Amino acid sequence: MVVFALFIISKAGGLIYNREFHSGLTKLTSNDYLMLAGSFHGMHAITKQLCPVPAAAINPTSGVPSLAPSPFTSRPSGIEVLESSHFRIQCFQTLTGTKFLLFTEPQQPNVDSVLRRIYELYSDYVMKNPFYTVEMPIRCEKFDRSLDGFVKVRS
Amino acid sequence: MAIYSFYIFDRHTECIYTRRWTPRPMSSSGKSGRPQSGSSITSNGDSVPPTRKALSKEDDAKLIFGLVFSLRNMVQKLGGEDDTFLSYRTAEYKLHYYETPTRMKFVMLTDTKQNNLRVALHQIWANLFVEYVVKNPLAPVEHPGGIGVANELFERGLDAFVTAVLPS
Repeated sequence: MVVFALFIISKAGGLIYNREFHSGLTKLTSNDYLMLAGSFHGMHAITKQLCPVPAAAINPTSGVPSLAPSPFTSRPSGIEVLESSHFRIQCFQTLTGTKFLLFTEPQQPNVDSVLRRIYELYSDYVMKNPFYTVEMPIRCEKFDRSLDGFVKVRS
Repeated sequence: MAIYSFYIFDRHTECIYTRRWTPRPMSSSGKSGRPQSGSSITSNGDSVPPTRKALSKEDDAKLIFGLVFSLRNMVQKLGGEDDTFLSYRTAEYKLHYYETPTRMKFVMLTDTKQNNLRVALHQIWANLFVEYVVKNPLAPVEHPGGIGVANELFERGLDAFVTAVLPS
């Protein structure tokens, strides 16, 4: 399994974490990475708007409708997987709007479970870190180390 | 398998052909007969989520063009010049993309279960567009405003292709 890189984009579209595990993607300057994250944030929002069918038509609530209406309106999701001939981006958006982008090889199974696990590591080592301020670049050594361990073991 | 829509863009960023197989949802088109969300509360007390302003077909096409253009640039930036953007998927739909060497862009929106349609889009270009539009002596070389693209043979061929190759 080859994981090229991990980006974490805050809910405002800023790049708060950027880590390369495996060379294979073009090296860019940090400024370019910031621009890329920002434009991805915008494109993600546009893909939500382009939804050609009402979300309810695709995910009909099974069985009888529950008595209490859900407080969460079903919203179309943005990009989840992007495929190109050289790599594949899996995007996972948390309920709070933080986006995790994982760059892998094109034919890579089970990327979403890897992403869930990375989200767990993030909640354990970043969100529970008392010295971390939200929406700020992530500098947590423990997160780095556990991420390294996790990705290296899988590859 | 469902196909929602199909677009062709020329190298001047103009949408020269649009085809839809499903009507736009009433809730988000804003053209429905019921009152707009800002003016009233619906009967069950739910506040209606703020619906976006009605987008016309042209606006949708522009949005799609801008999107695939930026995605293509992003992919080339990350993967190198020879990398090509193929498709993306959301929870609701999947967008397939094919670009000819002359920078015509073919875009198709389908449901999420569809495999990559790059080959099918290539066939539409080679067997339908080139045959019926490019080789048509009456059609102009370029197609500003879509002149000459939506002729009867092309439309019929597209319909036949979609029903034959991509059965619903």
